[in-house]
Amino acid sequence: MGRASPLRLNWLLVVPLIIFFVIFFVIPVGLIFATSFNPQTIGQVSVTTDLTLDNYVRFFTRSSYLQAAGRSVMLAAIVSAVTLFVAYPMAFVIAKTEHPGRNTFLMILVLAAMQLDMVIRLYGMMVILGDNGLVNQMLIALGLTGPDDPVQFMYNFLGVVLGLVQFSLPFMILTLIGVIAGIDPSLEEAARSLGASRSRAFRRVILPASMPGILSGSLLVFALSISSYIVPALMGGFRVGVLPIHIFQQVAEGARFQFGATIAVILFLISAGAVAIYLHIGARRSGGLA
Amino acid sequence: MSFVEFQGVSKSFGDTIAVEKLNIAIEKGEFFSLLGPSGCGKSTTLRMLAGFLPPSTGRISVHGRDITRLPPEARGIGIVFQNYAIFPHMNVFDNIAFGLVERGEQKTEIARKVDAALEQVGLSGYGGRFERELSGGQKQRVALARVLVIEPEILLLDEPLSALDKKMREEMKFWIKDIQNSIGITTIYVTHDQSEALTMSDRIAVMSNGRLLQVGSPREIYEQPSSRFIAEFIGESNLLDVRVTSVNGVSCEVDLGGSLTVPARCSKQVKLSPDERVSLLLRPEMLRLAPMDAQEAPRLKGRIADSVYQGALRRYRVIAGEHDFVVEVPNRPELAQLSSGDQVDVFWSTESGVVVP
Ligand SMILES: Nc1ncnc2c1ncn2[C@@H]1O[C@H](COP(=O)(O)OP(=O)(O)OP(=O)(O)O)[C@@H](O)[C@H]1O
Ligand SMILES: [Mg+2]
Repeated sequence: MGRASPLRLNWLLVVPLIIFFVIFFVIPVGLIFATSFNPQTIGQVSVTTDLTLDNYVRFFTRSSYLQAAGRSVMLAAIVSAVTLFVAYPMAFVIAKTEHPGRNTFLMILVLAAMQLDMVIRLYGMMVILGDNGLVNQMLIALGLTGPDDPVQFMYNFLGVVLGLVQFSLPFMILTLIGVIAGIDPSLEEAARSLGASRSRAFRRVILPASMPGILSGSLLVFALSISSYIVPALMGGFRVGVLPIHIFQQVAEGARFQFGATIAVILFLISAGAVAIYLHIGARRSGGLA
Repeated sequence: MSFVEFQGVSKSFGDTIAVEKLNIAIEKGEFFSLLGPSGCGKSTTLRMLAGFLPPSTGRISVHGRDITRLPPEARGIGIVFQNYAIFPHMNVFDNIAFGLVERGEQKTEIARKVDAALEQVGLSGYGGRFERELSGGQKQRVALARVLVIEPEILLLDEPLSALDKKMREEMKFWIKDIQNSIGITTIYVTHDQSEALTMSDRIAVMSNGRLLQVGSPREIYEQPSSRFIAEFIGESNLLDVRVTSVNGVSCEVDLGGSLTVPARCSKQVKLSPDERVSLLLRPEMLRLAPMDAQEAPRLKGRIADSVYQGALRRYRVIAGEHDFVVEVPNRPELAQLSSGDQVDVFWSTESGVVVP
C-alpha cells in the first residue's frame, strides 16, 4: 500500500459532505442569484437566459425598499447592542463561577439555543408582552398605566427588538462564556498588582481580552437578526417592514420570484458586508495578524 | 522586626489545607526562596502575600504594617508569573507602561522610564512587539521589566524559569540574580528546583504539605538538613541507619553496625540522646574511594556494584555490608578507574558526616 492511501480515504469521507453542500447550499443560492437577474414575470419560477438589471434598478429607486433595508440594518444593530449589554454580565458571572450548578445552567442555555422551537418561544413572549399580558397587568396593578391604555410591546419595532433579543441571548452568552472563561486569570492579577483597581483591571485588561467574543457574538446576532423572518412576522405583526418580510410578500403573496430573489441577494450582501467589517476590525485589533 | 512577616498564616480550600500555621520572617533586601515539592503550598503562600487570596487565619505584615486585608493594588508588591501574563492586546511598550499609567504619570516620564526598563532587560527596540512575537526568555524579561519599572518594595517570582529550556534557565538564573543584586530589592522566589534555590538564594525555606520544615542559608540547608525529607529533597544523599552512642555538643559518635563506631557532626538545633536511632547523611561528593588498606578513617570495606561515566564525574554504587552508597568522584587522570566487582574502601572526613534525626 502506498503512503497516499490514508489521504485518499480522507477525501472519500469528505465527498458526501461536498455533495450535500452543493445540492443544498451552492445550487439554491446560485439559482436565487441567477433568478434576480431575470425579468420580472409573475408566476415564473424557473431560471431563463434573459438577463437584466431591472430588478436592482427597481429596488434602488423605490424609497420604500431602501427604507426597509435601512430599517433592517438598524434593527440588527440595535438587537446586537442590546443583546451584548444584557449577555455580557451574565456570561461574565457564569464564566467566573465555580458553583456546580453552572454546568446545568449551561445545558439549559444550549437547549434554549438549539432545541426550543422559535414559534413556541414567541407565543410565550406574547403571553408576557401582549396588551393583556403579564407585564401590562403588572403595570396596571401598580398604577403606572391606565387599564384602557396598555403599553404597546408588540406589533411594533420594540416588539421585534424584544423578540430578537430573547432569541439571540443564548447564542451571545454561549459565545462570550467561551472567550471569557479562556482569559488567563493571571492577566487580571498582574494588572491588579501593577496598581489597577478591580474596575480599572476590567476596563484595561478583561474587556479588551474579551473583544474577540464580543465581535464574533455581535456578528452572529447581527446575521441572525437581519435574516429573521419569523420574529418580525409574529412580534411585528407584519407592520415592521424589514427585508425578510418584503421577500416573503413578493414571493408568497405576489408570486414575484425574480424581485424576491433580488431582495434576498441584497440582504445577503449586507450580511457579507458586516462580516467584512468584522474581519477588518478583528485584523486591526490583533496588530495585522488575524 | 523583620521586613516581611507571616504570623500564623493558614489557608484552606474546603477540606484541603494548603498552608498551615506559617511563620516566616524575611529581611529587607534578601533573596528568599520558597522551596518544596509540587502542591506543598508555595504558590498559595505567595498569592496571599500578593493579595490575590485572603488567608483563612493569621496576619501578614510589611514594614510592621498589617497588609492582610489590603487589596493587591495597594500593596506595592510586584509579581512575575510562571506564564508571564503579558497582556496580549498590548505591545511590549504598553505592557511595561501599564503600572505607570495606573499611577497617573506624565507621558514623557512614562516613555523615559519604559525605555530605561527595556534597556535594563536588554530589549531596547522591542517596544512595538506583541506577546506572540516574543520568545519565552524575552517574555520573561518583559514581565520582569513591567514589574521593576514601578519600583515595588517586594518582588515575587513564581517558578519564573520553569517554562524555559535548560540552557535558557541557567542563563536567566544568573541574570535574575544579577538584577536583584544591583537594585537590592527584597525578592521572594518560588521554585521546586533545588539547584535554583541553592544557587540564587540568601535564605531558603523548605516546605512540605503546607508546612514550613526548615529555614536557613543554602549551605545550612544542604549541609545540615533538619530532616531526612530535606536531605533527600535537596541534592543527592546517602542516608545510613545508625544509632547514637555518645553526644558531646556538636559532635557525636554513631554506631554504623558491624561494631564500627564513627564520629559525626550533629546540628545545634537538634537534641540527641544516646541510643537514639538516626540517619547519618553522607553526600556522594564527600565520599572517597581507595584501594584496600590505606589508613584514613572512618572507612568501610566494600565492593563496586555499578560504575557510570558522567563526563566531569564518575558515579559509583558501592555495597559495603548492610550499607549501600552512591559515590561521585571527579574524573581526574591520576585517580584509578574502578570497575564493577573491584574491592574498595569507602572513606570520608569526620566533618562531612552529619546526623539527621
Ligand atoms: N483555588 C484552589 N482551590 C482548591 N484547592 C487549591 C486551590 N489552589 C491551591 N489548592 C490546593 O492547595 C495545595 C497547594 O497548592 P499550591 O498551588 O500552593 O502548590 P505549589 O506548592 O505552588 O505547587 P506547584 O509546585 O505544583 O505549583 C494543593 O493541594 C492544591 O491542590
Ligand atoms: Mg505553584
